[in-house]
Amino acid sequence: MNMKLEELSPLYEYQEGMPWNPVEKVIMERRSIRGFKKEPLPDTMIERILEAGRFAPSAGNAQPWRFIVVKSPEILAAMEKDAVRVIKFFMFLLDYTRTGFLLRLIKKPLAKFYIRILGNELHPVPFELMSQIALGKTKVFHDAPTLILMVEDSRGVSCPPMDIGICGENIVLSAHSLGAGSCWIGLIKVLMYLPWWRKRFGIRKPYRLEVCIALGWQKPKADGAVPREAQVIEWFDRGLNDAPRYTKQGVKS
Amino acid sequence: MRTSFSFFDRIRIPDYDSPKQMQAGELLFDQEKCRQCGICVQICPGGCLLTETTTKMDIISGKAKGGKYGVPHVAKTRKGATMCIACYDCGAACPHGAITIKQNFNPGYHYKRLTQTSDMKYPLRY
Ligand SMILES: Cc1cc2nc3c(=O)[nH]c(=O)nc-3n(C[C@H](O)[C@H](O)[C@H](O)COP(=O)(O)O)c2cc1C
Ligand code: SF4
Ligand code: SF4
Repeated sequence: MNMKLEELSPLYEYQEGMPWNPVEKVIMERRSIRGFKKEPLPDTMIERILEAGRFAPSAGNAQPWRFIVVKSPEILAAMEKDAVRVIKFFMFLLDYTRTGFLLRLIKKPLAKFYIRILGNELHPVPFELMSQIALGKTKVFHDAPTLILMVEDSRGVSCPPMDIGICGENIVLSAHSLGAGSCWIGLIKVLMYLPWWRKRFGIRKPYRLEVCIALGWQKPKADGAVPREAQVIEWFDRGLNDAPRYTKQGVKS
Repeated sequence: MRTSFSFFDRIRIPDYDSPKQMQAGELLFDQEKCRQCGICVQICPGGCLLTETTTKMDIISGKAKGGKYGVPHVAKTRKGATMCIACYDCGAACPHGAITIKQNFNPGYHYKRLTQTSDMKYPLRY
């Protein structure tokens, strides 16, 4: 027996310049939320949001994910504390941007050496974020009342981290469509240097934990559309040997 | 139509705090429209917005108690770079439309953006 949801897609028929439909509206107006009310979302609502994750596409339908919901205020506080500790340690070694002349001479070459090895983890954005966290100027988990740990089963098909991303984005969009707020947090990675957190969450082969999603009621309300960098799109829509045609996003050509 | 990415670019890691090697976000705060509520300061991911009297941590810890916080500005490192990534989450949250983006984030050399232009555009209904 096929289960039928009341409204089947497509929700609307495309016409040039038509208003945003509700799905597009949620996509455009979702922002990463970093301020939350203390009380968490109801458990049923969290389960509803996770249903959006269960029905995400995945390579070979492998569904290489495992969801862990962390709601305990004590555990959340301990995670924040330990993450800050690890970050402070790394920044003590590598942060050349906030030191005097002499320490800079030592730390800068060391930092650049590690940046070459860990080019994604030590990209300027997370580097500066960790620098600010080490100085106590911002937080890792933004005091979220709930974290969804997006555990990856590394035995998935093709590229399991991609499936995690797709699954998580379903979760995030579903959350915002229901009036909640969310923020992806990649910095949870730093907890994986501490064996007791790996043990508590059961992160050993074949599992990996590289990202989590903060969930809660927005306070202040911070969803809304933003301007973003216009990218160049390449169109291969002519002959076999013709050069591509280019258009710029966000402007009528 | 792709920005060039030379061998030299590829191997050179920029100095993260140098405004010459990194183009970081810059914002404009409309002094007239801003009601000094501190919301943008509170929600900036990196805590890179400050007012004369308050920081992000003051607001979330409850140390700063209500009232007017002053018009925010983007903090700068000693060498003069901001840490703003031009996500505009502050602008989306501002209840009074007081924030505009002057310049986007685009790191230099190894990390430079190749097909993203520096033009900031709102979603367009094609
Ligand atoms: C995989 C991933 C990891 C992220 N990690 C963090 C993080 O550790 N801390 C944080 O504050 N934001 C994090 N973000 C949120 C991004 O900073 C945010 O999506 C980006 O600035 C764009 O802003 P928007 O989500 O409001 O459009 C992460 C996003 C993704 C997709
Ligand atoms: S654009 Fe983003 S990073 Fe820059 S000040 Fe606003 S919230 Fe902070
Ligand atoms: S959120 Fe807007 S009104 Fe409030 S302090 Fe920031 S710029 Fe001013």
